[in-house]
Amino acid sequence: MTDDDFAAEARAFLDAHAERAPARAVRPWGEGDDRLAYFSSDPPEVERAAVAAARAWQRTRFDNGFGWLTGPAEYGGRDLTPVHQLVYDALEAEYRVPDTGVLSVVGLGMIGPTILRHAQPHVRARWLPAMYAGDVIACQLFSEPGAGSDLAAVATRAERRDGGWVLDGQKVWTSVAQHSRIGLALARSNPDAPKHRGITAFLVDLTAPGVEVRPLRQMTGGADFNEVFLSGVAVPDDHRLGEVDGGWAVALTTLMNERAAVGGDGAGPVAEALTPEHLAALMRATWTWDDRALRRGLAELLADLWAARALNARALRRMRSGEAPGPERSISKLAHGQNLTRAAHFAAEVLGPRIVADTGEWGTFAWAELLLATPALHILGGTDEIMKNILAERVLGLPKEPRADTDAPFRDLQRASRPEVAR
Amino acid sequence: MTAGPDAREKELEELRAAVRDFLATHTSSLDLLGAEPGGAAHDPRVWAQVAEQLRLPALTVPEEYGGDGFGLVELGVVMEEMGRALFRAPFLSSAVFCVQALLAAGDRAACGTYLPDLASGRRTAALAVGEQNAAWDPVLVSTRAGRGPAGWTLTGRKLFVVDGAGADLLLVVARSVAGPTLFAVEPGAGVRVAPMTTLDLTRPMARIELAGAPAVPVGREGAGARAMARVLDVASTALAAEQAGAARQGLELSVGHALARSQFGRPIGSFQAVKHACADMLVRVELAEAAAREAALLHDAGDPGFATAAAAAHAYCSRAAMDVAMATIQVHGGIGFTWEHPAHLYFRRAKASQLLFGGPAVVYERLLERLGI
Repeated sequence: MTDDDFAAEARAFLDAHAERAPARAVRPWGEGDDRLAYFSSDPPEVERAAVAAARAWQRTRFDNGFGWLTGPAEYGGRDLTPVHQLVYDALEAEYRVPDTGVLSVVGLGMIGPTILRHAQPHVRARWLPAMYAGDVIACQLFSEPGAGSDLAAVATRAERRDGGWVLDGQKVWTSVAQHSRIGLALARSNPDAPKHRGITAFLVDLTAPGVEVRPLRQMTGGADFNEVFLSGVAVPDDHRLGEVDGGWAVALTTLMNERAAVGGDGAGPVAEALTPEHLAALMRATWTWDDRALRRGLAELLADLWAARALNARALRRMRSGEAPGPERSISKLAHGQNLTRAAHFAAEVLGPRIVADTGEWGTFAWAELLLATPALHILGGTDEIMKNILAERVLGLPKEPRADTDAPFRDLQRASRPEVAR
Repeated sequence: MTAGPDAREKELEELRAAVRDFLATHTSSLDLLGAEPGGAAHDPRVWAQVAEQLRLPALTVPEEYGGDGFGLVELGVVMEEMGRALFRAPFLSSAVFCVQALLAAGDRAACGTYLPDLASGRRTAALAVGEQNAAWDPVLVSTRAGRGPAGWTLTGRKLFVVDGAGADLLLVVARSVAGPTLFAVEPGAGVRVAPMTTLDLTRPMARIELAGAPAVPVGREGAGARAMARVLDVASTALAAEQAGAARQGLELSVGHALARSQFGRPIGSFQAVKHACADMLVRVELAEAAAREAALLHDAGDPGFATAAAAAHAYCSRAAMDVAMATIQVHGGIGFTWEHPAHLYFRRAKASQLLFGGPAVVYERLLERLGI
């Protein structure tokens, strides 16, 4: 299908099912909602309604052939290319449609491709169409209290029982688990093997007995993440993904599909707040307009934001011409974290006491929410330190740090890392 | 998906490879090491080859004036490579500043007179704008232009004129009653050119004393300020690419050293402190290259956002090049602080380039002004 044919079809679908958004204009200072929430700060009933709207819109996309453009036809996909997805995304951005991030960021973007690659055909048929139709939300049960940057240190146990598996352990920092029906879990199936070679991946039905999802309240005050406790959770063997003890390869598939923009800066109130117009309006409203030091801070920030946008534009150009993504992803994530952090601290300096205590003025204390979210930008989806290791080792070819943990049995590592034993 | 962008990229990479090969053959680090304060003249034989074999001075000159009519994207590729090699030649001054000044002045006769010679590299020109202040702000120009019976003459002093010593032609911004105006001056009677001792050993600057020097106006009288603003945008974009190229070289030198140098029994590049310094440099370099390229693309597409982009790219790339130059010396340790190691030449270039058009304070205000802030 040519780009033009596809674009025409997508345009017709969107015209029939969605309302055009007004031409993107800068929101006038002082009008509308002034919240700058990087994480959701909605009350539960509002959030539930948003999830329902996301599911309904995904269903509409799916029923009309736009639910899974790059997926195979037998599971409801269209067998198109990532370039078609770019074309579609750009068109859809012109319409007022519900945000489907709750489904797409983890489930459709990362877990779906992993199931497609590693699950048995009947398991794919069971879950993939339901996921891309918006019925099933999926989450990623990877991180644990003892396995953050060092993901291969997962300690959740997977034991064979009655032809299937039983999982016991604790997962943490799990996005969208409270809405999810299934989760992709990494568990330790062989503690006597080296850490990367004793992990198995499972697709866990979160309605199974023994699964408990508890909200995890983060420092902004909201609870965007969860702790997921697995206590004797039975998983049938056909819901194992990949080989027994071969879960690391499955995890790599998931991580490779991690979307470019972990908290990307395409649209939304945060992106709008970082425009030159909005930041200038902020300075005008606070009578700091001609403060030379702040003007310099603003210009420096705008130059950085502009360079980051140029990098994203370049990545998009390269993707459109069919090139495999380069190191832009890690670079863009680092730059995004740095820029958003700088922007929040810049705004705080402009606002002064107005971010310390709420005067009730529009668009001022609202920055506190974004400011409090900034530490997370350097941690989630791979810490800055891990991102820099990846860039240095995979792009620049610098040697890995010597490690003691790659060949020893996982069981011994656990023992050695407990100080009372080490002593 | 279409062949267009791929073919374009391929051509650009061919251009890059040709320039890189040439510079690798014709400039050696020995040239760089020979750089001593005040003694940084270029090699005219190498310049002649650059002109004959690669036609680089003709790159952005329109075809009607004997040039090849390429845009800023191609220019950016060339500037990146020249920045990498710290190539000593009057390219930025003659083939960028002066070519653009002649075009911006919109004087067809002057273009016809001067551009073919600049394009062929037979002659080089230098642009003299700054006086006590390096910023290209026409308000600060005090060099006077007067009209006598024998024609126009200029009187005043220009400083920081890149490649001014040895230039065959000087383009000078001077103030007439109508305001800042661009003039062409032939070195000779009434013109004294002296090299200045420079921080950057690979980019010479000159002081030019004009004492009733005969001059020919280029473009409309009083239109110099507008022309200079346009030249500045193009020059900033070219410089941004040069800075990105120099930064890329700093990164590669650093990575090479981090792999080769062992301490505590292993390559220093395996230590996260060094590794992360290199990763930070990579982030800087990639963003700088993308910023410079984006500004060039906007220019070539005639996009109204170009003026903003030029200022943003110059601001970003200036800081990136400086940060990378600092980090390069740090990763190299002691050897990076020696005269023999080229790291200091990149450091010198980075600081001098950052200040070439007035420095961060001026550039940041220009960026805000272009954004209407």
